[in-house]
Amino acid sequence: MFASSWLILLFPLLGFIGLSWYGNRISRNLVGLVGCGTIGASFFMTLVTLSNLLFLPPEERAGHVQTLYQWVSAGSFKLDLAILVDPLSVFMFLVVTGVGFVIHVYSVGYMHDDPEYSRFFAYLNLFIFSMLVLVAAADFFFLIVGWALGGLASYLLIGFWREKTSAVLAARKAFVMNVIGDVGMVIAALVIFETFGTLNFVDVFASAPDQFRPNDDSMLLITMLLLVGAFAKSAQLPLHTWLPDAMEGPTPVSALIHAATMVTAGVYLVARCHVLYELAPYTMYFIAGVGIITAIFAGSMAMVQYDIKRVIAYSTMSQLGYMFLAMGLGVYSLGMFHLMTHAFFKALLFMAAGSVIHSLDGEQDLRKMGGLQKVMPLTHATFLIGALALAGFPLTSGYFSKEAIILSSYHAQMGNIVFWAIAVLTAGMTAFYIFRVYLFTFFGKLRSPDTHPHESPMIMVIPLLVLAVLALLGGVLGPWVDSFLAPVFGHVAHPHDNVLESIALIVGIGGIVIAGLLYLVSTRRLDLFKEALAPIYDLLFHKYYVDEIYDYLIVRPTKAIGAFLEQKAEREGLDFTVDQVGLQIKEVSHVISLWQSGKVRSYALNMIVGVVTILMFVVFM
Amino acid sequence: MGQEFVLLVSASIFCVGTVGFIIRKNPLIMFMSVELMLNSVNFLLVAYSSFLNSLDGQIFALFIITVAAAEVVVGLAIILTIFRTRHDMDVDHIDVLKG
Amino acid sequence: MEIATLFNFTHDAVIFVVGMTAILASLGVILCSSPIYCALYLIGHMICLALLFLLYNAEFLAVVQIIVYAGAVMILFLFIIALLGGKKEVQENTFHRAMAFAFVFTLLGELYLSATVGPTQQIRGEIPAELFGTAKAIGLELFSKHIVAFELASGLLLVAAVGVICLAKFSFVPLRRRVR
Repeated sequence: MFASSWLILLFPLLGFIGLSWYGNRISRNLVGLVGCGTIGASFFMTLVTLSNLLFLPPEERAGHVQTLYQWVSAGSFKLDLAILVDPLSVFMFLVVTGVGFVIHVYSVGYMHDDPEYSRFFAYLNLFIFSMLVLVAAADFFFLIVGWALGGLASYLLIGFWREKTSAVLAARKAFVMNVIGDVGMVIAALVIFETFGTLNFVDVFASAPDQFRPNDDSMLLITMLLLVGAFAKSAQLPLHTWLPDAMEGPTPVSALIHAATMVTAGVYLVARCHVLYELAPYTMYFIAGVGIITAIFAGSMAMVQYDIKRVIAYSTMSQLGYMFLAMGLGVYSLGMFHLMTHAFFKALLFMAAGSVIHSLDGEQDLRKMGGLQKVMPLTHATFLIGALALAGFPLTSGYFSKEAIILSSYHAQMGNIVFWAIAVLTAGMTAFYIFRVYLFTFFGKLRSPDTHPHESPMIMVIPLLVLAVLALLGGVLGPWVDSFLAPVFGHVAHPHDNVLESIALIVGIGGIVIAGLLYLVSTRRLDLFKEALAPIYDLLFHKYYVDEIYDYLIVRPTKAIGAFLEQKAEREGLDFTVDQVGLQIKEVSHVISLWQSGKVRSYALNMIVGVVTILMFVVFM
Repeated sequence: MGQEFVLLVSASIFCVGTVGFIIRKNPLIMFMSVELMLNSVNFLLVAYSSFLNSLDGQIFALFIITVAAAEVVVGLAIILTIFRTRHDMDVDHIDVLKG
Repeated sequence: MEIATLFNFTHDAVIFVVGMTAILASLGVILCSSPIYCALYLIGHMICLALLFLLYNAEFLAVVQIIVYAGAVMILFLFIIALLGGKKEVQENTFHRAMAFAFVFTLLGELYLSATVGPTQQIRGEIPAELFGTAKAIGLELFSKHIVAFELASGLLLVAAVGVICLAKFSFVPLRRRVR
């Protein structure tokens, strides 16, 4: 009955193919219409599928596999072209197509003056398609297909402005790290195939609890390998260095890929394979640890960056850490809820920042902005709403989702005081850095006098307003999300602890206040503060020197090995051998040709020798 | 006597002719060695035609004489053409096709 | 002693002597230093061979050998030697010579070996003994069984004659005539 769900994947694919072939020949308006229309159609089909799903009673909602085509049937191994329609995948469909549609509309305005308009929308459609394949896959094979396609789309979109060297290098860096994750995923798929004999989600998850004890070696291996992929895609430590550089792409790309959808693929992966992860509690502990450490790591770096998009990028990394913390603690639906609200307010923040950048003609440095409150009122209001949601201000959607996770970090089965303390500290940092950006951008005097900032056109503002409403009111969706995802994850208790809640609240508001004290009024305090903490400031500003460490430890040796092999193995080895084959033949033939002396008598002698030899054969055989 | 003697004589003259062809530099003497080889075969054919009481051998020998005559004529014309303008009759000096 | 055995003995002795003479004459052909002497040895060799043909009942062929081979071909040879290359040459012992002797002796050995291998296939013809080797018998055979080869051989001779004229003619230098 879910056969119509295939249309969700089909529309963006058709959009990609159509726009890449004909995009140059149709008018800009038509390109924008097609680009957004396909995603809008996908969103509509998602709603149709959602209503179909809600028709069924909750027990029957999980595990519907729609097969299009039986592809491989080799002995006991079967692989079909199929999608899995269950609450988790429909939830992700909603987020991807919904937020994706809004961002597509925004890009119609943002990329309006760009000469490669149609190419942009083609790539965006490709990305949405790959994300949908990833989310809808019914087996590990197509999951990896969507994974890799998403990496490709990310590469194409980060390096969209091909003339910018920094953009191309950033795209390459992102792709290389993605490939590292891909390798981990493929090895995990192979181990799964060897262990279970099938790659199908339904079969693997059904047979796993019966076959293995908790913390069995093969479970640990599979889950760890899947984590390599998840961490690479979601920019967790240590595979995180590509995300800040990925801000070289256009702002809608940052909003769509690096805030709302692609980087959440890792979280989705853990959620989808939660059956396997529950059989490996060590790995869950590991996920929670890495998540919370990344959260505080990124939060600390975000406090000192001057590029507006970079701050928001680090904030994404930090919030993904929260989501992984939730996954590691076992409260999956809370993590997915935070994923949804994060998609709302982070896309909103990126797009508002993009609106600011667009009106300042491409200026991204915070120190050159200021005083935009009166000039761009709508952008100001929506940015404020997004900042409040991110900081977890009471009654915004971010408050509900983040608070739930922070509480679970103490009250869940694996939660402890250390997790909780770091989570609260990071929440404080979050509030601080986002309000730092807010105050830098919208208060004070404009620090770059040559530009004429203006409010963005309506086509860019309306998506901001839509997302602002969702960010503000999305909190009410919390209980619904829980019950909707219950067939997949089981019910989760929402803990209520007044003491811990109020402590987190105070820390959050404290962060806002500190930001206001330092940045709103005067700058003397700021300079004193900076001098006092100068060494820490340096460490944070240089991103803990992680990029430099990677460069020395990994990049340079690899390049040196490559150069060495090119010289020795390639040039002196293979090329030399192949050349020598030709040269030696020439030499030998040169020597043999001396036999032809031109003298008749030598030829006659050769003939006699030949006759004698043949006669010897004849006589003696 | 009989067959072994004929074979031996014929083989000997043939080998003498081959040796002569290889070791002499003068093209005319090389040619004469070729005539020796042809003669040896003639002798063999005639002797065997006598042993086997069939005239085919003699007819074949007749044709060999005819062809040898024609060949000598053409060959001497070639030698004449090549060596007319030179003053040394040395066949080793004609190595233009060397290499 | 019987006349028959005496006749046979003489027959074989004469064959033996003439055969040896032929071999010695051929050795003389290749070992002489002067080309004229080589040609003369060759003529001697051909006469020996003609004698051998006679001893093996091939009268017609013996006469043809003397008239055509020794008479026409060798005279042509002598003319060319007289025209071109009459110098004496010195024989040097080169690697070529050594190799030549080695291989040729091997060849000789092999030919002799093949002689002792066994009888060859017997072809028996039906010619009455008194007509064997006469011109009449050869003519009958030639113009009936081997007529095609005969015609081809005549064509070959024609080609050779024309070819020689094309190859060896002197270039034609026109005499300048004064116009009166």
